[in-house]
Amino acid sequence: MTPQSGPINMFCRIYSILLYAYPRDFRLQYGIAMQQVFRDRCREMARASGRLSKLRFATHIAADWLTTTVSERGVAVWSAGRKKTPRNFVTEWAVTIAIYLFATTTLVQAYVVPTGSMEGTIRVGDHMLVDRMTYAKAGSIGPHILPYHEPERGDILVFLYPEDIRQTYVKRVIGMPGDHIRLDRQQVIRNGRRLTEPYVQHIATYPDAYRDNFPLAPEANTTPRGRDMFARHVINGEVIVPPQTLFVLGDNRENSEDSRYWGFVPRSYVIGKPLFVYWSYDAPTADLEEWSLTHLLDVTQHFFTRTRWERTLMVPRSQSAQEAGGAE
Amino acid sequence: MPEPQTPHEPGPLSPPVFHILLALADEERHGYGIMQDVARQTGGVLQLGPGTLYGCLKRMLAAGLVEESDERPDPALDDERRRYYRMTRLGKRVVHAEAERLAGAVMVARTKLAGGNV
Repeated sequence: MTPQSGPINMFCRIYSILLYAYPRDFRLQYGIAMQQVFRDRCREMARASGRLSKLRFATHIAADWLTTTVSERGVAVWSAGRKKTPRNFVTEWAVTIAIYLFATTTLVQAYVVPTGSMEGTIRVGDHMLVDRMTYAKAGSIGPHILPYHEPERGDILVFLYPEDIRQTYVKRVIGMPGDHIRLDRQQVIRNGRRLTEPYVQHIATYPDAYRDNFPLAPEANTTPRGRDMFARHVINGEVIVPPQTLFVLGDNRENSEDSRYWGFVPRSYVIGKPLFVYWSYDAPTADLEEWSLTHLLDVTQHFFTRTRWERTLMVPRSQSAQEAGGAE
Repeated sequence: MPEPQTPHEPGPLSPPVFHILLALADEERHGYGIMQDVARQTGGVLQLGPGTLYGCLKRMLAAGLVEESDERPDPALDDERRRYYRMTRLGKRVVHAEAERLAGAVMVARTKLAGGNV
């Protein structure tokens, strides 16, 4: 067993699910051999270094899967032809479509970042693929087949905005249930220890006591949920994160609307973690939230100049903060 | 997915089919072995995915270009049993004919491009 065998086993299990998109006969005949070959390729990739070659491998496997599932289905329909009843034909395709839906809704999701609250780590206009499996909650289909783990401090999360679940936010986990959190002159003090956060960017446009020395008292732009947090979870000038929730902050700390303003993220609102940026395009926030004709024209005219090529395939990483030795 | 050609319907082979046949020309191999050999032959340019590989093998089996050998483990990889494939006499003829055709095409290309027009 190599040290890499954990993730490889996970990828092999996902691949074995994806094989169901092939026609039944093909899968029964070659499925096991394809899994073997897939695992051999994974081991080869694990030995090879380089993020780029791994991503290239992943896209290659995905493209191979997409094209050959379609072509094998086509061949199966063609050769079986009149022998099959229309109903069989429909159920066969239904399985393939179900697997495609599974892949796009359970495994990954595309997401575009509309605001600069994570600037420094993630930029406005980054189009990302989000891994939806890792934090899949127990009870759903995921954990029975796939290993999952709880979000940890320092992880970047994509989640439903608690005040309006039609919106999706991305922030970094600062507090886990039970953690005591406060900010002192823009620095986080967690459980009495001052954090040094390498990923944070401080661009203070103006001093703001509420923002920099949280939690003081609710102010005008504290939302109802935020006020509830102040009322029930602030003790001795510290927020205590309740069970089944997370306290999140943006890396662009002074320009981020985060848990300081709207409270905790319920665990069940967590969607996943960013996998990588597949396209980064320099556009204003409003255009990214909703596609419009002007944005479409803008993209067609400036695709090559405004695409930030150097960010393609960038992986936003979890990073842990350094805790100072002495208690505050 | 291009269909493999049999002598009954002459014409160019698709690159995956041609290189799979080349991979099996010197010895019988299992799926991953074929994949590695094809990558070696083409300097890594043609990397077959599992779906492409087994889709081609299925059609090549049906066309009689390759046949299944026995199932045995590859000691270099692990102790799992793997299905080995080998080339048939028909496969050998077809890959020969294709190599000739390609050699002819290269000749034509060399002559035409030698004129310095390109």
